[in-house]
Amino acid sequence: MKMRTWSPVAAMAALVATLTWLGGVSPAVAQSGPTCKDGAIKVGAVSTITGPADFSEVPKAAKAVFDQANAKGGINGCKIDYTIEDDKADPQAATQAARDLVDNKGVAVLTGSASLLDCAVNAGFYARQGVLSIQGLGVDPACYNSPSVSPVNVGPYVLSTAVLYYASTSLKLDKLCAFFIIIGGTQEAYKQAIVNWEKLSGKKIHLLDLTMPIQGDYTPFILKARDAGCQGVLFNHIEPGVVQLVKTAEAQQIKGIDWLFLAPAYTEQVAKALSGTTQPVYAGTEWEPFTDVKSPANKDWRAALTAAGQPLTAFTQGGYESATILIQVLKGINGPVTRASVTKALHDMKPITNSLVGTPYYFGPGKTHDSSRATKIVKLVNGKWNVQTPNWVILPQPKG
Amino acid sequence: MKSASLRAVATIALSALVAASLILGLLPSYWIFLFTSAAIAGVVLQGIGIVAGRTGMISLCQMSFAGVGAWTVAWLSLHEVPGSLFLWILIGGAAAVPLGVAVGLPALRLRGINLAIVTLGFAAAFDDVLAATTFPGQTEFKFVTRPSLVESDEAYFAFCVAAFALVAIGLELMSRTRLGATWLAIRHSERATAAHGVSVPGGKLSAFALSAFVAGIGGGLLAGQLGTLVSDSFNLMQSLAVFVVATMVGARHAEGAAFGGILIVFVPELLRQFALPQDLGDILFAVGATQALSMGASTSETFRASLRRLRRRRAPSPAHIPAAPPIAAPLTSPCASSAAGARAPAVSIRGLTVRYGNVVALDQVDLIVPERAVTGLIGPNGAGKSTLIDAVTGFIRSYEGTLTMDGEPLDGLAAHQRARAGVRRTWQQTRIAPDLTVGAYVRLAAGRTVSQREIADILEWLDCPPHNELVAEIDIGTRRLLDIAGAVAARPRAIFLDEPAAGQSYEQSTRLAARIAELPDRFGTSVVLVEHDIDLVRRTCSTVTVLDFGRVIASGAPTAVLSDDAVVRAYLGAREEALAG
Amino acid sequence: MLTSALAGLAAGGTYALLGVCAVFTYRMVAVVNFTGAAIGAAGTFAMVLLNEQGVPLPAAVAMGIAFGALISALIGAVMARWFAGASAQTKAAVTVAILVGMIALGLRITGGQHPHRLPELFPGAAFSLAGVVITIAATVSILLAVAFTTGATLFLRHTRAGLQLRALSEHPMAAELTGIRTRLLTVLVWLVSGAASSLALMIVAPQRAPNFLSLSELIVPAFAAALLGFLRNFWLTVAGGIALGILEGVASNLVSLNQYRAGVPFLIILAILLWAQRGARWDEIR
Repeated sequence: MKMRTWSPVAAMAALVATLTWLGGVSPAVAQSGPTCKDGAIKVGAVSTITGPADFSEVPKAAKAVFDQANAKGGINGCKIDYTIEDDKADPQAATQAARDLVDNKGVAVLTGSASLLDCAVNAGFYARQGVLSIQGLGVDPACYNSPSVSPVNVGPYVLSTAVLYYASTSLKLDKLCAFFIIIGGTQEAYKQAIVNWEKLSGKKIHLLDLTMPIQGDYTPFILKARDAGCQGVLFNHIEPGVVQLVKTAEAQQIKGIDWLFLAPAYTEQVAKALSGTTQPVYAGTEWEPFTDVKSPANKDWRAALTAAGQPLTAFTQGGYESATILIQVLKGINGPVTRASVTKALHDMKPITNSLVGTPYYFGPGKTHDSSRATKIVKLVNGKWNVQTPNWVILPQPKG
Repeated sequence: MKSASLRAVATIALSALVAASLILGLLPSYWIFLFTSAAIAGVVLQGIGIVAGRTGMISLCQMSFAGVGAWTVAWLSLHEVPGSLFLWILIGGAAAVPLGVAVGLPALRLRGINLAIVTLGFAAAFDDVLAATTFPGQTEFKFVTRPSLVESDEAYFAFCVAAFALVAIGLELMSRTRLGATWLAIRHSERATAAHGVSVPGGKLSAFALSAFVAGIGGGLLAGQLGTLVSDSFNLMQSLAVFVVATMVGARHAEGAAFGGILIVFVPELLRQFALPQDLGDILFAVGATQALSMGASTSETFRASLRRLRRRRAPSPAHIPAAPPIAAPLTSPCASSAAGARAPAVSIRGLTVRYGNVVALDQVDLIVPERAVTGLIGPNGAGKSTLIDAVTGFIRSYEGTLTMDGEPLDGLAAHQRARAGVRRTWQQTRIAPDLTVGAYVRLAAGRTVSQREIADILEWLDCPPHNELVAEIDIGTRRLLDIAGAVAARPRAIFLDEPAAGQSYEQSTRLAARIAELPDRFGTSVVLVEHDIDLVRRTCSTVTVLDFGRVIASGAPTAVLSDDAVVRAYLGAREEALAG
Repeated sequence: MLTSALAGLAAGGTYALLGVCAVFTYRMVAVVNFTGAAIGAAGTFAMVLLNEQGVPLPAAVAMGIAFGALISALIGAVMARWFAGASAQTKAAVTVAILVGMIALGLRITGGQHPHRLPELFPGAAFSLAGVVITIAATVSILLAVAFTTGATLFLRHTRAGLQLRALSEHPMAAELTGIRTRLLTVLVWLVSGAASSLALMIVAPQRAPNFLSLSELIVPAFAAALLGFLRNFWLTVAGGIALGILEGVASNLVSLNQYRAGVPFLIILAILLWAQRGARWDEIR
């Protein structure tokens, strides 16, 4: 028979040739895709899960995406081994968490981190160790200000500019004021955000107050805004502060001021807590508004997270996008997936578009990263969030 | 004394060296980083050990001082001030001191709890200020530069352990000085400390300032370790947590602080290794700390106590039974015997009146304390004897009358100033800090430089235990003798002895009587003896004054006074004949 | 200036009431209770969670107050059982440790991420003064502080139990020996204090951040008010608390001071203490 003429030597040679070819000895010819040691790609996230905040939805959404990818066979056979660490908003814990991931577990990249202080505490460490972080929720300014971190969300600083921009162009408000809570290191970022808006709109901020206390009674500040004649006031408060501010405005019977908030205000709970209010409340979103159930841009995200049994909130949109982007980047790597190769891939990447955001995501080799610069504005009407801008409000990069 | 200090210093240095070598040799860099954090936490804990452990003041803002140190180091690094990290850390510590002084100053003369609340308020206010401040270098993404000597994680770990050891050695040496004894004494009894001539507010302030310095150094070390800082590292909850740990482990001992540092860093690490939620650590901490605090003594105190028991079991010291000791060579040349002739009064009390609301405790009391003589002051309970001593030594704020010593008025002087001027006293209830050694106590009470020889002589003369024994291990009766020894060592003009023979056996009080009688000639001091033991009074005093209901009812030579009708009636309530009949 | 001063009145009422609770606890059972506000937060959130489950508001309030009182009595029991003879430092350390645990537990149960809806016990405006709407809640909290102080003072001075309580606070050992039921009285003190703090926080929490941690940190201004009362005088504490609230309102106007504004109330307290300590005397006990 013809088969029996196959000599062992020839078979051996064919096998060796195939293996050599598969091993990518001649990379110019081989388009092999990512490979991994022990069949796993190690990825990590440092998030604030317990303590004063709970951002666990972000890395959990990323995990859901990774699990679904693993169930489909992983990336070229490589499964993603994802570790979520909790820093309970404690700097010591954050440092140890980062070191555990980078030194002990040897992760190749960080994805889906959502923490109050991971960037501030660890960005330098990440830079020194040559590992990058696709931040799922960037909160502190170091996330937008370091070479080793590029968040997928817009962030409070760009978002402040964008919301003010919307207020001055679409709401046609002249006297715009801003009251910010300043915590460590954010003063310059917020001030710059205001300056950027002034450059874009050609107007001047009517009143800028950087002295709001982290907690306390907000009545004096509401009254200050009223007495200064503000037509619209921007706050950077998080959820509980948002509710407290609007309730204080109610209690003081303020009329004729538009209250502008950032992304933390855009939740179902805030809508429920403020369902009876007559005050005009706006919020800027960082993603395609999640309360818009009919929006086609949210389809993939909804499907993925519903399948995983995860809640459908703005947080999970961030986790979903960061994981999706990582998978796409990983797929583009040829050869072993190591920390160095992932870092290189992120530096060399082309911008990736995603229906959840208005601007494409990009890492690149720069010293700062704030690639997400689009928002949609929602308004609270009868206890429900109403999308005011069907098209993205995209903020151009500041000149100079 | 010197050898004991050397031994302690050597122990600290050696343990630090051994521990550091073991850790560096055996563990990977992840664990070395953790141990660095533990060492830094240990430094901060030692700072709390000074103010809370030794001096007994509650300070809830130590991390704020650390924050000042850290901020200073970051600033110095950003502006590339010459000197490198080593100098910057010291400057950081010094920067925290004025803040410590400013916070501590207003509350020093008030009850301790006021200081606790002031520090709490300061920590909260500082929190708000620091949270709104950008750490130098934060926006420029610049980090605190380390000199190349301590560039690597391993070298920095060794540096932090060295810093911890240096602080421990410094504090150990300090604890053997008068200032160190002052801190322990203040904790136990502020009155007694003032009676030694020590300014209590000054002592408290020095403790507070030094603790701020050490905390600032801890903050600087943290800045060097992390390179970048967040205000949350120094917030109110951190200060509170670190205070509880310090109380739990007894941070005034170096081993306690080291243990506390390890606890702070490794409990969260343990939780992480077992993938348990991190806030479980806080709950465990609450339960564990409450449990540990309910034990009564801190962990390091328990540790030291068991070490002492071990040492004693191995080498039992001979029981200290005061046999009739050879009387040491007279310390001053004996002068003329106690003939109460025309002598200038050492202390002169005229028209002393003390009122507590409507109750008149002392009513126009006149008392002359002649020079180099023993004067008795007796009277039934409640007569006002202790009140008189309190008034003379400065523990009663408002009284009428004049007090003079050698012609100079004592009125208007604070208690510790009167003590320094030469009026000393002992206490009815002994107020000697149990953590002091006998020698340290005498040196504290003396207020002047006393030689080893002199201390040993005084102690032996008064049947007191040797100088290196701990006061905690001495019985109450002997402590009263120690109280007298301390007062005597100061060579004052006048000593007021408040019931020194209470709690003594017959033999002991007989011997004490002999000693008291010798005091004026041997030390040139006048003695006012308040006693209930009439025999003792008869044997020692050249004059006796009797008080009853705040008034002087008799005064003069002992025999005459003691057989005075009025005196007998005051004590017994009726004449003997009337009772017998 | 007047506007911002009055705006701080609501906060002032809270500080006054919490401060009086703190002084009451300190004077009666000699414990500096750092968990005072956290106990109130526990009672408040108990009410909130019950209300969310459908319990009608008045019943939820009553149960919340009872819960706060219970937690307070529990802590008091721990203090009395194991730390009755401990030093002031140890007692302070224990309440601080308990506070840390309480906050962690409270944050875990009440969830730090999404705000619960805090029902307003006294919604609406009371009156308008100098352009500021003084809410009913603010008025009630001030009135409550005054009422509690009056009640406590009258109780201590004119009732038998009050007399026994004063004896207990002066000399616990002697009180026990003369047959006063010290344990019962101690529990009573903690129960009352816990109930008062819970009610206080229930009234004002809707106006403040509904977060367990921030409500617990109200203990700081409460103690500042207590300090102004020299930890002895109830009326001075009430005045001090209201003054602190007004001061915070005024200070919020001083934009030029930026973040250092937070130090203004603290500096004023320091100044008052400096003035007060010129008449300091020796602590009777030591």
